[in-house]
Amino acid sequence: MSHLNVKAGGISLKEPGILASGILDENGYSMKRILLEGAGAAVTKSIGIDGRDGYNPPVVVETGSGILNAMGLPNPGIDNFSEEITLAMKAGKPVIGSIFASNANDFLKLAEKMSDYGVAAVELNLSCPHVKGFGTEVGSDPALVKEIVSTLKGSISIPVWAKLSPNVTDILSIANAASDSDAVVLINTVRGMAIDIYARSPILTNRYGGLSGSSIKPVGLRLVYEVRKELGLEIIGVGGISTWQDALEYIMAGSSAFQVGTALWSNGRKVFSEINQGLESYMKEFGVGNLMELRGVAIR
Amino acid sequence: MMQHVKILRKEIETPTVFSLYFHWDVKVEPGQFVMVWVPGYSEVPMSLSSTGKEKCLTVKMYGDTTKALNSLKEGDIIQLRGPYGKPFTRVKGKTLLVGGGSGMASMRPLINEESTGIVAARGQDELLFADDFSKGNAICVTEDGSRGIKGIITAGFENLDLKSFSMIYICGPERMLYAVFKMLHGKTENVEFSLERSMKCGIGLCDSCSVDGFQICKEGPTFSISEVEKMGEFGKTRLDRSGKRVFF
Repeated sequence: MSHLNVKAGGISLKEPGILASGILDENGYSMKRILLEGAGAAVTKSIGIDGRDGYNPPVVVETGSGILNAMGLPNPGIDNFSEEITLAMKAGKPVIGSIFASNANDFLKLAEKMSDYGVAAVELNLSCPHVKGFGTEVGSDPALVKEIVSTLKGSISIPVWAKLSPNVTDILSIANAASDSDAVVLINTVRGMAIDIYARSPILTNRYGGLSGSSIKPVGLRLVYEVRKELGLEIIGVGGISTWQDALEYIMAGSSAFQVGTALWSNGRKVFSEINQGLESYMKEFGVGNLMELRGVAIR
Repeated sequence: MMQHVKILRKEIETPTVFSLYFHWDVKVEPGQFVMVWVPGYSEVPMSLSSTGKEKCLTVKMYGDTTKALNSLKEGDIIQLRGPYGKPFTRVKGKTLLVGGGSGMASMRPLINEESTGIVAARGQDELLFADDFSKGNAICVTEDGSRGIKGIITAGFENLDLKSFSMIYICGPERMLYAVFKMLHGKTENVEFSLERSMKCGIGLCDSCSVDGFQICKEGPTFSISEVEKMGEFGKTRLDRSGKRVFF
């Protein structure tokens, strides 16, 4: 599939679909298998300085049109993660290290370790919606985002991606603050909740969670389109993609590549290979030589 | 989606194991599991020990959530979601059901007049469902020798003609499964294991329960011996709740 290859966020991908952070990417064997099944790259679970068990279950709710989750950033801590990256890299494709911290200094320590482990890029989690002191709490402060991105760009040689939240009032100011990065990744999950009427209680242990799946695709598309149109940034699109048609919408809204997560639940493991086949057929039918000819073509 | 069922009755099985019976109009096959939520506590995976019109959860008390389940009584509501996972393959003819500790719970729906059981526990008080087998068909193994053979579960296989069984089903902690795997490896192909690992989402997304890239909650929990054979992680390493790789 040579003509599905794209350059996105400073790395080369043989296929444009990337495994999104948080889904089947804690165990190196899982990432390796998904890469061999058609993903162009895999983003790891978000890794912090110290290990965390995450929240007690229930950590997910099937909402009928998507998944609500509050895992609570479970991770073994950066010092315990090198083996998983080594295992995943045996697939011969790029692995991107997702990291979370509350300040620029810790982000830098994590990025340096990830770089030592061999990742092709780091993705800054500036958008987890459900853990106090991290994620969106960091990523909704433009000055802090700017400091974190510029600190990393000045110190490490691998590309830096900034994964941003839809749960902000003004996406353009945040995206602008992250504009020194090699790509912004749009979007993380949309904050939400679910209540059990018999228990008369929120279902998630954390009460609030993040919604993913097909119901959030229109939200993601709008943010990708707006940031590409207004700021011209390099974008990796993510949010509700489960078919090749969804992926093309994101490309036409201005994405250079895209990520898939929840569709591994709704569509199964074949989702990456199906998207690749669909993209190839579409390109053949309409005489598109390289996917990047379609990037942003829908922008008016 | 979260389901709600009303408890019909509770039965005490052993000093640490009890069963909750309920009606649930959903097709469930032996080997599948549900995620059971106790509001205010946690949510835990459990296989069903009865899969007919009347369903049953057989619970071993080992933490706050299972102890909270123990305080429920007839008429109370259980919140659960599922059924999830791949069931055991059903076969005709003689079967061998091998269960260690509460592992026997997921075996119970498979018990019929043609099945033989190897039921293992620390002591006779903890033997689960041994008396559900036809007379003389349960081989009990206890670590303290209080009933049946004294030893660990592998001792129960002595004197059995493995080839005479259409299928051997095994459920229990991974260390036990690994010991049985090593013993059966190369001797017979008709073996299915029910694997168990730390599980969080139950729907194949969070990666907590994965073994060698396979999600136990979605592609398992039942695996054939030829699938298990290819798993480099099986019986050797696993991830703890944080995702840290640890050795068994």
